[in-house]
Amino acid sequence: MTGAGPAAAVGTHDMLAARINSFSFHGDAAPALRNVEFGVRAGTLTAVLGGSGSGKTTLGKLLAGWHRPGHSGTLAGWLELAGERLEFRGGGDDPRINPAGWSDRVGYVPQDAAAMLSTVRSTVAEELAFGLENRGTPRPDMLREVGRIADLTGLAAFLDRDPATLSGGELRRLAIACAVITEPQVLVLDEPLASLDAAGVIVVRDLIARLTKAGTAVVVLSQSADGLARSAARWLVLDGGTAAAGGRPRELLRSPELARSGVVLHAVTHTAPAVRAGLPAGAAPVLELDGLGFCYPGAGGAAGERPLLRDLHLRVRPGEVVAITGPNGAGKSTLLRHLNGLLQPLAGEVRVQGRSIASLPTGRVAAAVGLLFQHPRDQLFERTVLREVGFGLRRLRGREAGAAADAALDAVGLSGEAGTHPAELPASKQRLLALATALARRPAVLALDEPTVGLDRHGLAVLRRAIDAEVARGAAVILVTHDPLFASSTAHRVLVLEGGALREP
Amino acid sequence: MPAPLHPLTSLTAACCTAAVTTAAGSWPLSVAVSAAAAVLAVRAGAGRRVLTAAAAVLLPLGLSLLMLHGLFFPEGRTVLAAWGPARVTAEGLAFALEAGTRTGACVLVLLLFSFTVSAPDLVAALNVRGLPPQFSFVLASALTLLPAVAGRLGAIRTAQESRGLVLGGGALARLAAVRVQMVPLVLGLLEESGHRAQALEARGFGRPGPRTSYREVPDPPAQRRLRAVLLVLAAAAVALRLGASWPAAGLL
Ligand SMILES: Nc1ncnc2c1ncn2[C@@H]1O[C@H](COP(=O)(O)OP(=O)(O)OP(=O)(O)O)[C@@H](O)[C@H]1O
Ligand SMILES: [Mg+2]
Repeated sequence: MTGAGPAAAVGTHDMLAARINSFSFHGDAAPALRNVEFGVRAGTLTAVLGGSGSGKTTLGKLLAGWHRPGHSGTLAGWLELAGERLEFRGGGDDPRINPAGWSDRVGYVPQDAAAMLSTVRSTVAEELAFGLENRGTPRPDMLREVGRIADLTGLAAFLDRDPATLSGGELRRLAIACAVITEPQVLVLDEPLASLDAAGVIVVRDLIARLTKAGTAVVVLSQSADGLARSAARWLVLDGGTAAAGGRPRELLRSPELARSGVVLHAVTHTAPAVRAGLPAGAAPVLELDGLGFCYPGAGGAAGERPLLRDLHLRVRPGEVVAITGPNGAGKSTLLRHLNGLLQPLAGEVRVQGRSIASLPTGRVAAAVGLLFQHPRDQLFERTVLREVGFGLRRLRGREAGAAADAALDAVGLSGEAGTHPAELPASKQRLLALATALARRPAVLALDEPTVGLDRHGLAVLRRAIDAEVARGAAVILVTHDPLFASSTAHRVLVLEGGALREP
Repeated sequence: MPAPLHPLTSLTAACCTAAVTTAAGSWPLSVAVSAAAAVLAVRAGAGRRVLTAAAAVLLPLGLSLLMLHGLFFPEGRTVLAAWGPARVTAEGLAFALEAGTRTGACVLVLLLFSFTVSAPDLVAALNVRGLPPQFSFVLASALTLLPAVAGRLGAIRTAQESRGLVLGGGALARLAAVRVQMVPLVLGLLEESGHRAQALEARGFGRPGPRTSYREVPDPPAQRRLRAVLLVLAAAAVALRLGASWPAAGLL
């Protein structure tokens, strides 16, 4: 890594630099960012750390030209790319960013990987080639590049798949690969490790190391001071839309600014955390999976040859927390979709509270089983936060519905946002809102798909409290996660889904 | 079929058939073309979708044609029945039949094309020929619109079912379900299209200059010749038609 320099502030040899006196979205009174100074040098990794709503994504999109001053909001300050400075005063005579030219040099991978896809390409290979096609790259070069990047990102086995059917982790790899393939000089990655398994984390870290070595300036936006962030040359800590601190990781790791922000600080020493104790004995299971078998139509050759789920058994008792881990694409999300009948098993049976759900519509099973999707945006469809938690509550809770909705919002700390449009919430709050919609229904079984992804320290605390409350109420909780620490510290049992079945780790 | 049709071949065939049918203006030919299109659609496994879509377009159209021309055809001489100002005339019915079958044939042929063509192949073929990418993107979006809307609707339904919406039951329940799904569907599609534009631009979609295509669509010389022949035929049919109707129009 490069030698020391002044904090994360602007330097003379920066590949990309910015001074943001203030940036506000059209129609918002308060600025989303103010007093942020930022610069990245070629060949270095910079981490922008901050809690939920601290302005990381806004900064990332501004740097990458996804938010264009004048177009998405008003900027007072300047942006500088490869020595060329654009001054903005927030008036009509401000310079315009040419998105095509800017994106040639600055790549961006959004937090929601699916937002990266063109949606008009029918295979992973064509999706990868999309950026090259638009640049007129000759076809032989394109074929070679697609193959090379697919190998680097672990996508080689997926080249002929429809991008819409990829699992969460597979999609993340694709989004990163799509940005890397056009070889931008600056690469901004928003939560690049979200939803990735251990192998995926290594793939991305290797890729970043390779890029910085080749001279790319890489910026990582993250809620967590994880291993990737600690390997950065510089940090910028954002808090409440402004720069709280900047400098080298070693200097900032114990700083009060970092401690005050919502950034997750993983314990550096990996002492084995205590597994949740006190499993109530003897109660009849609320959830039973018996010999479950499943295979997506048309996937993996002849059905039944290599099914995704194969003779899978699981029993979960009231008040029990079971964590399921496993590699990307193992079928964890697929398994959770069986619990409320969104998917029907090809073999075996799902029993909830002793009763088979084979002939029940999902809408009925939903009274007993609450599901938090891996992508919260897929779960939210209403116009306001309050309507979102209130959806379908009346039928279930009768006159308590209003109070239940309020209580659920309160439990996840979103009472103040009742009137906000869910799409305007930051990703972490969207996840908490989706959690609230499940909590409000007081299900007997709560299934959570990657509940920790994108949550900052406060969000994680909310999640832990919610799980504790569910356990105390006697609900069974099944959670899928790639975070081994979270799994072992919240669950009674940790199981691994691999090769189609669950096993002890 | 020996070799798969290049998308431009099927596009040319569909457009030329529609042009020739319109120019010929003879209802037996229109009926024959419609029947052929229906048979081809069934053989391609798209029979149900093509026929449903055609019915949705043609039934209201046919009814209005009948109402308009069957009942109120000013040039009609042979009166079959009359109620006040409305007269059913033989000429009116013939005109309605003529116009109806002609439109029907065109609609069926174009639907057959759009439901059987591979959208990615078509876009790739057009890109290679230097069509502005914005145009081919609009075309691809239009061709994939139905699946995209269906996918979005599926996601909303999944979310709602997971929160206790029970689908099925009587027509009333279904109608209520459609109502709760429509608003999120439209808002979701709008929001998504905004984000999509951002992502497309960032990936160089709006760039000027030449582009290339990763997908390769084979275009055998025989099909190129076939397309040329079809275009000449269609042009001839249209020219004949214009030649036949111009002097007549001049006399009016
Ligand atoms: N509709 C589909 N058609 C075909 N294959 C699919 C479909 N949906 C998912 N798959 C594939 O099934 C496998 C399991 O997907 P699933 O989403 O259950 O994985 P996962 O264990 O949740 O992975 P992740 O950790 O990345 O979220 C993946 O390889 C995925 O690509
Ligand atoms: Mg998953």
